[in-house]
Amino acid sequence: MRNFGYTVARTPADAVRTAAGIANSTFVAGGTDLLNLMRDGAETHDHLVDLNRLDLDDVTLDGQTLRIGALARMRGVAEHPRVRREFPVLSEALLASASPQVRNMASIGGNLSQRTRCGYFRDPGSACNKRDPGSGCPAVTGRNRGHAILGGGDHCIATHPSDLAVALTALDATVRLLGPDGARSVPIADFYLLPGTTPDRETAARPGELITRVDVPRTRVAADSRYLKLRDRATFEFAVVSVAAALRTRGRVVRDVRLAFGGIGTRPWRDTRVEAALLGRPLTEAAIGEAGRVLVRDADPRTENGFKVELVQRALASVLNELGGKR
Amino acid sequence: MTGLVGRGVARVDGRAKVTGAARYAADHEIPGMLHGHLVLSTVARGEITELDTSAALALPGVVAVLTHRDLPPLRVPSFPYLKGFVPMQDTRVHHSGQPVAHVVAETPEQAREAANLVRVRYRAERPTAHLAHALDEAFLPPLFRDEPNEFVRGDAGAALEAAAVRVEQDYSSPMMHHNPIEPHSSTAVWDGNSLTLYESAQGIVFTRRVVSIAFDLPEANIRIISPYLGGGFGAKGPTWSHTLLNAAVAREVGRPVRVTLTRAQMYTMNGHRAEYRRNLRLGATREGRLTAIVDTSTAQLTRTDHGVYNTSESTLRLYDCPNVHVRQLGVRLDLPSSSYMRSPETTAHFGLETALDELAHELGVDPVELRIRNHASADPHSGEPYSSKHLLDCYRIAARAFGWARRDPRPGSMRDGNVRVGWGMATETHTFSAIQSNVELTVDVDGRATLRAATQEIGTGTYTVITQVAADELGMPLEHVTTLLGDTAYPDAALSAASATVASVIGPVSQAAQDARKAVIALAVADPRSPLHGVPAEDVVAERGYLFARGDRGRRDSYRGALARHGRPVIVTGSRLNSSGHSYGAVFVEVRFDPRLATLRVSRVVTAYDPGRVLNHRTAHGQVIGGVTWGIGFALMEHTMVDPHTARVVNPNLSTYLVPVSADTPSVESFFVDRPDKGSTALGARGFGETPGTGVPAAIGNAIFHATGRRLRDVPFTRDKLL
Repeated sequence: MRNFGYTVARTPADAVRTAAGIANSTFVAGGTDLLNLMRDGAETHDHLVDLNRLDLDDVTLDGQTLRIGALARMRGVAEHPRVRREFPVLSEALLASASPQVRNMASIGGNLSQRTRCGYFRDPGSACNKRDPGSGCPAVTGRNRGHAILGGGDHCIATHPSDLAVALTALDATVRLLGPDGARSVPIADFYLLPGTTPDRETAARPGELITRVDVPRTRVAADSRYLKLRDRATFEFAVVSVAAALRTRGRVVRDVRLAFGGIGTRPWRDTRVEAALLGRPLTEAAIGEAGRVLVRDADPRTENGFKVELVQRALASVLNELGGKR
Repeated sequence: MTGLVGRGVARVDGRAKVTGAARYAADHEIPGMLHGHLVLSTVARGEITELDTSAALALPGVVAVLTHRDLPPLRVPSFPYLKGFVPMQDTRVHHSGQPVAHVVAETPEQAREAANLVRVRYRAERPTAHLAHALDEAFLPPLFRDEPNEFVRGDAGAALEAAAVRVEQDYSSPMMHHNPIEPHSSTAVWDGNSLTLYESAQGIVFTRRVVSIAFDLPEANIRIISPYLGGGFGAKGPTWSHTLLNAAVAREVGRPVRVTLTRAQMYTMNGHRAEYRRNLRLGATREGRLTAIVDTSTAQLTRTDHGVYNTSESTLRLYDCPNVHVRQLGVRLDLPSSSYMRSPETTAHFGLETALDELAHELGVDPVELRIRNHASADPHSGEPYSSKHLLDCYRIAARAFGWARRDPRPGSMRDGNVRVGWGMATETHTFSAIQSNVELTVDVDGRATLRAATQEIGTGTYTVITQVAADELGMPLEHVTTLLGDTAYPDAALSAASATVASVIGPVSQAAQDARKAVIALAVADPRSPLHGVPAEDVVAERGYLFARGDRGRRDSYRGALARHGRPVIVTGSRLNSSGHSYGAVFVEVRFDPRLATLRVSRVVTAYDPGRVLNHRTAHGQVIGGVTWGIGFALMEHTMVDPHTARVVNPNLSTYLVPVSADTPSVESFFVDRPDKGSTALGARGFGETPGTGVPAAIGNAIFHATGRRLRDVPFTRDKLL
């Protein structure tokens, strides 16, 4: 780990200005991922701008929008009474993440900015197009049990590890950014990029842009939501497959449904065709099965991750049956 | 004797550990010390063609960057140095993650950053990374530590042919790593031709021998210090190359140097459980009597050594089967050397205990009953009787506590709503060693005792149990006895591996304590100033630091009084041989399986053991908790992933190499037969530590079969295999 400079920012504008003025700098909040990346040599930065003093940690529900400050900690958001009541999928996704210690430290902005757990990405001794563009992707023909079955290609099949991002994707959240050229909003569906031929570009954030807030629209369906996470040990582990789901039915007929998936895509995975397969139809086994087939229609499994094709369909069925009142 | 032995007294070193007073290898501050960091190869097979250290050397604080061009020749030590070669002696690369340069700087951060700047070019050759890619190259390795890799009893081939019932299956397990929470650390301090090493070592006497050979130094010139260990599990039993390289580098730069491995480096620098495949063929009568076992295993070896560390001991010795043929084959791959890992025998035993469950199912015989029918009342291989063996009691005790009698044997028959419940069991067994050990016990002029031995505390409770036994024999309160371990300045004693510590050290401790008590009593009864003057020595008893005349407790002296009058310490030594042997037990497991999402939980574990006499019920139960947790990890998650093309470890960290967390581990019940083994000189105690866990992977797999009707033979049993 090489030496780096360090500045404590006082205001968001100050943070952005400072970072813009120093080459190869980045932002740090909880540091629960960044410091490991720097220690491992997967990322190198000459300067860190510390955000922890910024007044960006409020969680408020005003009118029809839940506003989560980027510096709010995972634990605080997960335990927020109105988040738990009106957006249970967010609370559940956060509580299924990491460990209590990490959740105490890690910020919402940092959670959305965390890097993939792909072992090749985290090992500077390996090739990786995401870390070292053009060097190749060993995961495609190597150890890929944890990798994506959707949204990848021969350049990269790494998954995005954030559970929260999956839940926010289901709820049509918006990411607020502040950069040298001012503030803007990006729908989360556009925030995470497919790897294509440039897997080193993961988000729509421009260089020097800071996540300041996440806005989540308040909807009736959000209150009937949950997060199902399947993983290889009981806790402190990333998803093999996860589903963020929100569902409203009248009788048995689906009136509103939002679905996003973790562990299967190269970004938090949303495919509105899956929701369309359910909308307006009775929530039957056949309808759920059809939705699952739509989800994996374009799946491109590799040597070790083919089981995710079946597992994610079962996970979808499980969570829909639960939300639909049939266990 | 004051009844201390057996009691679950709390750890005597617990306070030092939780307050940070305990000094681990990397906690010793040495004046003038530099920090080293290793540069490891990124290819698995080939030659170094170019090594550019200039950028690293230009970094502030960097003192030296040493490579094969700079290091003096080091002799390749024999066991317990396992690598078969010393790195940084030439340009050859034998595995990914092999040391190619050693950076020395004023701070650890400078050394680590400089290590990133060392540029190495290789002429890479294509490595072979997995057993599956080279099975046709399997061969029977030559003797290892004087032991063959083939064992024959009777005529297993013919008996198998003639058997009424046969089971033949393949069982396999991947590479796994020890992952002690304390990383390996070595600090070398030279003083002329003498070397002191502050070391994380499970066997300081062994480390001294290895260093002595490598540097061609007399053992008297070498001191190894290792008072506390943050876990070892076998990873710190052998001496590894970083210790030798760091000592060589310290000598070159003329200052003390410390090297501490990173977590990632611990996946190539200090051994692992090798990848294994095992073909097992069992033959039996219709009544379930084993008539033949043919056990052919294939282990990963390297091109530089051929050690097979996970032997088929239980195939050979656990059950009363007249015809056995064991072959332990190997395949040379371009990987680091494997080594012993808690408990080595688990690897083979998983297959045997699974195959027995398959046989029980095939025959319609209860799995416990099948094991009872094949119980060995004498060692099946040597024919010798056991000095003590209560395995049948273990089956009975654990089965009753578990409620085994209520088990419906039909797979999938036991349900709780949508959840399938499965009950499985297995025998647990482990071979322990006994190693010549010596101790020195001093009763000082203040009447307190200090015990010294060059064995070490690896976290299992060695300080506590030694202190307990010494205090009990001396007749002193526990807090009057101080145990000092982990320094080769003390008398040579056992390696803390192969469950050998208690079996090896407790005899000498108890003998020294008895001798010291007798010596002090002799002083008292011969001293006219003692209230015990003239009492026959055999009529004096020692309790809580006092010496009483038997039958007349009014006549009382004390260690403190007797030693004060004596004016100088009483020093005795203890040395008593013990023999190696086996400890046994039984484990019963309940799993709960939800077929919809293929979610599996181990919900209940009940165990019973025969470790001879139990010296401390708390630390013994601690070993059971640890062993069962290891067994759950082996069965359900542990897996070092090696890239098939580069032979490089892909998950060298605790974030992606999964071990169980508390939420994966139910509370564990343990029962002990607790009868002294008359054949053991360690107060009737046998080596025990690694026994728990050996049967757990098979018991879990057997429970999964009972729950689902699906037989899994390849660990880890992850969700993808249960869909």
